[in-house]
Amino acid sequence: MKTFLRKRAVASAFSLIGLVILVFFLSRLTGDPTDLYLPVDASAEARENFREIHGLNDPLLVQFGRYVWDLAHFDFGMSIRRAEPALDAVLRGFAWTLQLAVITMTLVTVMAIIVGSLAAYRVGGVFDRLATFFSLIGASAPDFWIAIVAIVVFSVGLGWVPTSGTGGWEYWILPIAVLFIRPFGLILQVVRGSMISTLSSAYVKTARAKGLKNRPIIFVHALRNAMLPVITVIGDQAAALLNGAVVVETIFGFPGVGKLMIDSILQRDFTVILAAIMVTAFAIFVMNLLIDILYAVLDPRIRY
Amino acid sequence: MIRNLGGAVALLLSSTAAFAASHGETGVTIVLPEELDIVDPCEASRSNVGRVVLQNVAETITELTPDEGLQPRLAESWEDLGGGTWQFKLKDGVTFHDGSAFGATDVAHSLERIKSENISCEIGAKFFGGIELTTEVVDDTTINITADPAQPILPLLLSTVTVVPEETSMDAYVDVPVGTGPYTFDEYNRGQDIKLSLNENYWGETPTVTNATYVFRSDSAVMAAMVANGEADIAPAIALQDATDPEMDFSYPNSETVYIRLDTEMAPLNDVRVRQAMNYAVDREAFIGTILADGTLLATAINPPSTIGYNHDLEPFPYDPEKAKELLAAAAADGVPTDMEITFIGRNNNWGNVVETLEALTAMWADVGLNVKLQMVEVAEWLEHYSNPFPEDRGPEIVAAMHDNANGDPVFSVYFKYASEGLQSGVRDAGLDDMIAAATAATGDERAALWSDLFEYIQMEQVYDVLLFHMVGFSRVNPRLDFEPSIRTNSELQLSQISFK
Repeated sequence: MKTFLRKRAVASAFSLIGLVILVFFLSRLTGDPTDLYLPVDASAEARENFREIHGLNDPLLVQFGRYVWDLAHFDFGMSIRRAEPALDAVLRGFAWTLQLAVITMTLVTVMAIIVGSLAAYRVGGVFDRLATFFSLIGASAPDFWIAIVAIVVFSVGLGWVPTSGTGGWEYWILPIAVLFIRPFGLILQVVRGSMISTLSSAYVKTARAKGLKNRPIIFVHALRNAMLPVITVIGDQAAALLNGAVVVETIFGFPGVGKLMIDSILQRDFTVILAAIMVTAFAIFVMNLLIDILYAVLDPRIRY
Repeated sequence: MIRNLGGAVALLLSSTAAFAASHGETGVTIVLPEELDIVDPCEASRSNVGRVVLQNVAETITELTPDEGLQPRLAESWEDLGGGTWQFKLKDGVTFHDGSAFGATDVAHSLERIKSENISCEIGAKFFGGIELTTEVVDDTTINITADPAQPILPLLLSTVTVVPEETSMDAYVDVPVGTGPYTFDEYNRGQDIKLSLNENYWGETPTVTNATYVFRSDSAVMAAMVANGEADIAPAIALQDATDPEMDFSYPNSETVYIRLDTEMAPLNDVRVRQAMNYAVDREAFIGTILADGTLLATAINPPSTIGYNHDLEPFPYDPEKAKELLAAAAADGVPTDMEITFIGRNNNWGNVVETLEALTAMWADVGLNVKLQMVEVAEWLEHYSNPFPEDRGPEIVAAMHDNANGDPVFSVYFKYASEGLQSGVRDAGLDDMIAAATAATGDERAALWSDLFEYIQMEQVYDVLLFHMVGFSRVNPRLDFEPSIRTNSELQLSQISFK
């Protein structure tokens, strides 16, 4: 296991280095942040001064060398736009996104496993048909549309929850509900498919022949074996949320890392873009590692 | 079970009332379209910063008001001493939020700071480019300010400069702005909100609003829903399609003017008949109430009508495609290449329905026989076409632009847009340069008359561009407030001007 972890860490470090190089040079291709930061009437002198302050006049390779040197000292640089260290802005946003992702994925996982398993138990039954119908709608409905409709219905119409923002628990209901729908639909389908195949296997038939009740058959014996493909999809969906639930964060005014990343790209705030990508890449590396470990826990045949 | 469900719903409903009224009866919540990245008063000319900081936290030496013109704010009076020097008498007994006394040294420091080479202050870059300012502190409440070159409108220029204490760093932006304004900057929870509260030691009249919370939502529909739901009191900038409730929604002239900048150096645009034809070909009225909001005004100058020297006698070009065709035929007969392809540069997201507006213009020009090809680009590429020096290998080009001047004087626009050396000028006319210099140097009624003549020369004699629309913005205001947005709402939102019904 230790060898596996070491190998994964080295491979991930190479990936991160490649990512830094790629993002650094690609973000520079988008143009000069001076054009976006200063007003169109700003004088050439003011533009030159701005470039000088932020080191944008130096050759690209010099800028890259300076960035790597600072990075080696865990200094991600100052945000061009925000008058604060880039890493502070990113970690603050990431903390919000992490909470949103953890709560949503926990609810999604629990609900999708329960509903998917029950749907698989009587394939073609009323519950299965309803679950399949709603999960397909959920998996294919666009986030921004659901978010706006949810605000119009539940906030403006019924007045049950606030439209947006942060605060008490009630502010989390709509963002989590909107984020819940798509991964729930996808994971439910995978759980259902995997459980159908597991429930038709020989050991389940044996358990039934022995007179075991349905609940232990589904949730103890079959579920554990059906979980491997489900874990993969859960990891995939969680990674998407960690990258930032951009649409939901933007509409609900949630100060997460996804919104920060989009704003930084639009404003050409290079240091924040790079810091955000590094932090989310590291988080995804940690999550993938956890999933690998979970594989081994669920299936004793898997050893690294 | 049903009883439990009913209880849960009742609980939810009762908590709704709590978030709708969380700011208190004399507090207001304002929802802005953009989070503040920087809160430094020297960035207050940016609309998102200005709406929080300008005149609420940090005040200016003079103040331009829509109805009364230039008024004193931190100054008592001012006098032109000649030779580019103005003397300002400042208010006595004013203190900053940190308790220090306001005086002439703070004004001197603030003027130096907006031009600091170690931070990039927009006020300095936007209003004082190419102007050297030197100050002489005469006594605690008197300061002489000399501008080189001399600025006859220096008092007006100072309406843009926010005053900060002399201890404020020259090398870094401040995280907590300190000023002399009626509100103190209490908290900035980044990504969430900004909180201001009443400055108990304010030198002026005590405002009705005691505290304000600013929140940020980039979606216009959400901003409008927040005011409708009672979660916010003012959404100063919502989209046309969300301004659906006449009880709460206001339209106001937002000081933006849409025009088409022509490159008058290149054929066929160097012929006045072609430029006239481009103007006659446009059915300006057809845009209003269709793809542009009702209330949009037709423009005859690059500044809004409230600007001094606005020539109210000028009429917009009438829609006359036959006249346009005649002018083009006459030009073609004289050898002007009127069928040459003209590239039309537009900027994505420049204003609502920008693509539709520019496509309609392109079609109208095509109808009279002009060969115009529209190209929509992002802001950086657009700036390359809009700002001098223009690309050397270019063909004839026209650029769609929207210009903002809420500062009351054409000097903030005309040099940039029409002088031979102007950053975004497509005109090379020595006579016009002289007119700009004369109007810039003049004062009082003479100044207004010179600007007025200049606009007539640009619009009627030389037809240097295609002036189109003075735009309107939309705000949603909670009916509990006594507040009406104005042309200044685009750049500031003075809490002291808000009261409750």
